[in-house]
Amino acid sequence: MSNHTVGRKTSGLDKVLRFALYAVLIIVAAFYLMPFVVMLITSLKDVEEIRTGTLLSLPTSLHFDSWSKAWSGACTGSSCEGISPYLMNSFQIVIPAVVISTLLGAINGYVISLWKFRGSDIFFAALLVGCFIPFQVILLPMARTLGWLGIANTTMGLVFVHVIYGLAFTTLFFRNFYQSIPNELVKAARLDGAGFFTIFYRIILPVSTPIIVVTVIWQFTQVWNDFLFGVAFSGFDTQPVTVALNNLVNTSFGGKEYNVDMAAAIIAALPTLAVYVFAGKYFVRGLTAGAVKG
Amino acid sequence: MANLVIENVKKRYGTTEVLKGINITIEAGEFLILVGPSGCGKSTLMNSIAGLEDVTEGRILIADNDVTYTSPKDRDIAMVFQSYALYPNMTVAQNISFGLEMRKVPKEERETEVQRVADMLQISHLLNRKPAQLSGGQRQRVAMGRALARRPQLYLFDEPLSNLDAKLRVEMRTEIKKLHKKLGTTIVYVTHDQIEAMTLADRIAVMKDGEVQQLGTPQEIYDNPANLFVAGFMGSPAMNFVPVNVILKDDIPMLELATNSAVALPFPKPESLTAHVGKTILLGLRPEMITEPQPHKEGQPFVTTTEIEVEVTEPMGADTMILTRVNGAEINCRSNPAYPAESGSIIKMMFDTSKAVVFDEKSGERLDK
Repeated sequence: MSNHTVGRKTSGLDKVLRFALYAVLIIVAAFYLMPFVVMLITSLKDVEEIRTGTLLSLPTSLHFDSWSKAWSGACTGSSCEGISPYLMNSFQIVIPAVVISTLLGAINGYVISLWKFRGSDIFFAALLVGCFIPFQVILLPMARTLGWLGIANTTMGLVFVHVIYGLAFTTLFFRNFYQSIPNELVKAARLDGAGFFTIFYRIILPVSTPIIVVTVIWQFTQVWNDFLFGVAFSGFDTQPVTVALNNLVNTSFGGKEYNVDMAAAIIAALPTLAVYVFAGKYFVRGLTAGAVKG
Repeated sequence: MANLVIENVKKRYGTTEVLKGINITIEAGEFLILVGPSGCGKSTLMNSIAGLEDVTEGRILIADNDVTYTSPKDRDIAMVFQSYALYPNMTVAQNISFGLEMRKVPKEERETEVQRVADMLQISHLLNRKPAQLSGGQRQRVAMGRALARRPQLYLFDEPLSNLDAKLRVEMRTEIKKLHKKLGTTIVYVTHDQIEAMTLADRIAVMKDGEVQQLGTPQEIYDNPANLFVAGFMGSPAMNFVPVNVILKDDIPMLELATNSAVALPFPKPESLTAHVGKTILLGLRPEMITEPQPHKEGQPFVTTTEIEVEVTEPMGADTMILTRVNGAEINCRSNPAYPAESGSIIKMMFDTSKAVVFDEKSGERLDK
């Protein structure tokens, strides 16, 4: 490092401070990683070894059978198929919920920012209130609504709930992003002869990549990690993985299989981790994205 | 190319009236400039012509067709915006051809048109770039190209040069003028820059508070302003306004001026002053009408030489502005830089009132029409 910083001398104090800084960062990172490390280690031990209580020590020999059991053999309540079917359930809920809520949020934000109408600001303020409504409050009315719509206990019902609940957030994201787009862009396109959707599709969406990534990550994490809606509105065979994980941990015949529990928990968390790893840099970039200059 | 008729157009937001009955007729091929201070309604009027805002009352006709309730895309108008509003995700070529594409012009035709416009504006080498890779002046050209490509009936320019630096602004101003001469298109151009208005326009509409104060050729507006506002708005440095008493001298009404010694200035239309004898009115006199004594003007009927005390001088190169105080009002005089004028000294100056105008002190209306 010091070879590259020409003309700048680092004093002894600077070096000490820098060392201290990295030390603190490493300690904090280790602290945050600890639970995951313990989970991973535990999942690779066999039940006997876990009982000895050596939580932090490395496994004496690697056992992967807890993973295969968590995947396809562990019992969740009365069925013993592992959590893989529920993982699929979760994907069936998350993918449409994320796509639909993101798309609708984009259109909402586009209208509120660039096609202002009488009362559009009030409309937006009202929508914002939706961000602050606690999950518990809407459980009963939503259960009634789903029953009335005939989609109670179905995947479609859960998608519906998540789309409705996510709309406030996705609209907020897109609206704030589109505020930085000059209104004249829409005016120019209108004079050029483009209509509402053509302008959206040809001019607005192509510059929206950063905020689309942000919204997708946000929605994916929210919907994937949701437990309350999942437990309240899912049917027996449409349970998302979070609910299945809970059932798996609570179902025991004889001794607790912590290794299986840990393996299942890691499997359930992997998709959100993957989304962050692949799109994380866009997430930060999108959050700090400034004005779109024309 | 088409004519444009704006008939009694009014625009209200709630109870605030932004346009209070605008009447303007623009001939085909005419270059009209809307000028006025910010908030005078010029941009609202522009948006109304484009159809981006609805008018509350009145009619707008393009090429004798009533387009008051026609959507913007069907008015056959192109507009150049202050922020250029180029589509950031498209290349220059795509920007220029977007309007044609929306109008379902075949691809080959679009390409020819893009090339024609690019050649005309000398931006052929930029066609594959994105707007973010262009300088301000280049973006301005692309924005004009986008407007030109469709060959619309009417062009609207909304302060197109405001975001350019001073040098480029003058260059582009000339370019726009040349382009208008070459293409003979009908243009409505909004600006708050009165020099742009003077240099470009066939006619100027000076606006204030949602009303057209005066509509006329640049020279008419400069020489013959309808009221105090127009007189003060057009011209740089601004017209001098001096409160003067109207006195009778040999039965002819004249304007009393107290410089170093009291003088009476003759006025080209003395009959318009008769009603104001003994009262104070505002004399409007452009800086270039107060100069150092010029021998060739000596003895002309409306020329008066008197002494003034120099307060400050501002050399501008071609001229030197001399600031002095007359009848309690600060005035600007335009003199030859060679004429000696030290701060604090008393010098002779020549007042030429042949183009002077007078206003009512309270209402600001012209008194000598």
